[in-house]
Amino acid sequence: SVFNVPFTEKSSPGSTPALSDSSLQSDDEEFESVDALEIYDLISSISDPEHPLTLGQLAVVNLEDIQLDDSGNPNEIAEVIIKITPTITHCSLATLIGLGIRVRLERCLPPRYRIIIKVKEKTHQSENQVNKQLNDKERVSAACENDQLLKVISQMLSSCK
Amino acid sequence: MSLSLVHTFTGHTDKCWATSIHSKLPLLATVSGDRTCRVYNLETKRLIVVLDDDSHSKTLSSVEWKPTGEFPSLAIGSFDSTISIWGNEEAVLEDEDNWTLMAIIEGHENEIKGVSWSHDGVYLASCSRDKSIWIWEADDNNEEFECVFVVQEHSQDVKHVTWHQHENVLASSSYDDTVKLFKQDDYDEDDWVNVADLTGHEGTVWSSDFEKKGERVTRLSSSSDDGTIRIWKILHAADDQPSIDSKLPSTIKTDTNQDMWELETILPIIHHGPIYSVAWGENGYIASVGSDGRIVVYKELNSKEWQIIISQPHSHGVYEINNIKWHGDRLITAGDDGLVKLWELAL
Repeated sequence: SVFNVPFTEKSSPGSTPALSDSSLQSDDEEFESVDALEIYDLISSISDPEHPLTLGQLAVVNLEDIQLDDSGNPNEIAEVIIKITPTITHCSLATLIGLGIRVRLERCLPPRYRIIIKVKEKTHQSENQVNKQLNDKERVSAACENDQLLKVISQMLSSCK
Repeated sequence: MSLSLVHTFTGHTDKCWATSIHSKLPLLATVSGDRTCRVYNLETKRLIVVLDDDSHSKTLSSVEWKPTGEFPSLAIGSFDSTISIWGNEEAVLEDEDNWTLMAIIEGHENEIKGVSWSHDGVYLASCSRDKSIWIWEADDNNEEFECVFVVQEHSQDVKHVTWHQHENVLASSSYDDTVKLFKQDDYDEDDWVNVADLTGHEGTVWSSDFEKKGERVTRLSSSSDDGTIRIWKILHAADDQPSIDSKLPSTIKTDTNQDMWELETILPIIHHGPIYSVAWGENGYIASVGSDGRIVVYKELNSKEWQIIISQPHSHGVYEINNIKWHGDRLITAGDDGLVKLWELAL
């Protein structure tokens, strides 16, 4: 399964761009520069872990809550900030949803994008805690090596094109 | 002043999380999400061995050479919550057959984030997402590791541990935004006392490093998710109280079982985003790396004033840099591109 190794769809680290797989590279070129709408399309089709609806349909992700800081230069680091709106303020699945979004984007976007995911202000009772966890590199990496968690995320992402 | 690239060590197929340089031998160890540890000869730049016999099932997050012993050995910490100890039982460094797995240490409940040996090689400290730090006593042959103490002072993940280069003082950095210092108890060597809490960072503290000057603890640098590096200074240690103290009744003295530390300064802010690693060189310079891919080197002008002498963006292309180490006037960095780079400081 593609989930055995985290970040399988990214160009393989360890090789310079010139040496990376040509099919991966053309993917990168396709996404050389993305806009907020493209990011919305990538994540709005993710399924909610407990409803038979997508994050777009539930308005957990919204186009106006996607912010991009990108010079467009493929050699520069760019930043994507996504604010999610949990359906209820005590939503225990907020971190799982955020992780699903992060995994989706890390697999689809070139490595120059730094992805910052936050819950929208005042939409979650443990806002700071959720934000800290979602943006902790080690915790996210470790989560991506957790088979059970990856199974749930793969389910959430199965509705994506 | 600038950095020139001396060599790039390739081979990891996933993020490189940490590196360690042997204190006496020209050995470099690097660990990665690809679950291998690569050992290089730093002089010839040749790969000596890849330690990957499936002893770990998850990311290797941390590595450190033991500073003592007749033959080289190292500890590797993994997200699979175990530590492995490897060693070379011959003096021939180039032969990969001589490297063997000597021990697997179990005890932590979750991912191990850091491992560090005390200066005398007697103790190995490990820290984990399970909020604890374990102190293991090692024998000379690296066959027996006995847990002598478990520190449970942090309220969240412990991200990094490091020992002072001469004293048995341990600094730990945490997701709870603090750095804590621990010292062996004077009366019970198996007891470790929390002698100071350094608070002020407004985000996860990712790493810390002691100043390399003198025999005693002087200052500590710490790097954080809040984008700052702080310099902390010890005012006086618990064990050298002013003489007036000895005249106080013991009930009052119990409170002074603490080292007094103060925030000396915050280094000039230049990083954007988390600073994953800070290193204090024997040359007195401090170097840092983080999510923004920048290598920054700071020079001290006077005790409160530091100047940025190098700020090099895109040091690993567009990738994040996880770790930085000094090796004389050279620097070694490890990135999400899986590469390990050796740099020379061109003064």
